[in-house]
Amino acid sequence: MDLATKAQILHGMIARMGGGGAPITTPDWLDFVEAQNDGYRTGPEVGEKVPDFTLSDQNGTSRALHDLMGPNGLLLVFSRSADW
Amino acid sequence: MLKANGINAASITFDSREVLNRFSAAYNIEFPMLSDVGSKVIRAFGILNTNVPEDHKMMYGMPWPGDYLLTPDGVVREKTFLRSYEYRPSASQVLLRHVKDFKGGNTLRIEADMLEASVTLSADRCFPGQELAVALKIGLKPGWHIYGSPLPDNYQVTDLTFDSDLIDEQSMEFPAPERKLLKALGETLSVYEGSVRAIGKLRVRWSPPMPVPFLEAIATTITPGLYQIGGTLRFQACSDTVCEAPQQIKFALPMTVEAGIPPAPRKPA
Repeated sequence: MDLATKAQILHGMIARMGGGGAPITTPDWLDFVEAQNDGYRTGPEVGEKVPDFTLSDQNGTSRALHDLMGPNGLLLVFSRSADW
Repeated sequence: MLKANGINAASITFDSREVLNRFSAAYNIEFPMLSDVGSKVIRAFGILNTNVPEDHKMMYGMPWPGDYLLTPDGVVREKTFLRSYEYRPSASQVLLRHVKDFKGGNTLRIEADMLEASVTLSADRCFPGQELAVALKIGLKPGWHIYGSPLPDNYQVTDLTFDSDLIDEQSMEFPAPERKLLKALGETLSVYEGSVRAIGKLRVRWSPPMPVPFLEAIATTITPGLYQIGGTLRFQACSDTVCEAPQQIKFALPMTVEAGIPPAPRKPA
């Protein structure tokens, strides 16, 4: 699937979910999933160090990678959005 | 469960602090939910979803979803990125695979003539679409062995399989067996003696979180509740002089499938 097709599918599906347009079919949905996930990458490899960072948490507290660690490490979860 | 095993958890999304605060309050989230507005950290990890066009207001900036288990000095021990975001690893899976003396899960003991075994599922509750871990431990009586792969067809390879409508993928990884010359048989075969530990994965089928016709065609809905996951342990125990017949021991482990979680409240319009 080329980038232009992916872009068209990703824009189109959101418009259709937002109301109006033709009903979504199963093949439409599978294309939508494909357009999002095709060629996915997974970042730092096992045995590599991850990039250091400092980000604000949900309460506005600044958290650096090393403050987040437990005695045996950290499970760091990247997720798409907490908003949708 | 993570905390009891000394591992902290944190999430990263591109959401604003306000969105995260609302989500966190709605679900009583206790771990830090980090706000990576502008997706700087997502880019630094090299996991920005580049399929999404830059002018896509809702999705641009999101990562390919996945989890890293990091050592205290920030090195990746394991990572799980699944192609489809409907499927997710469970915290218990990560723990069972990586923490010695994992506390939790659901263990069943099996006793046979020449061995004792235990089968552990990393959790007894799950959501549809989660991956759980399985651990199999076998202790053999002295002088007895069981078989690993490769093996001629007339012997039974040690094997653990699950058979349930809830499970759509499974795999077990056994350690490399020892190649041993069995004098009475006059053959060199792959054997395990003493104790064996194998680790595997079980994937619980995904179930549409709400009744939508185009999703029902892909996956039938799992009704939340208590299920029994059936399993079979196959092996053949032999000593240097005697071989028992291949055995199949069937068992069942309880598993509660939780109801899907309703979407988080949206910002009041």
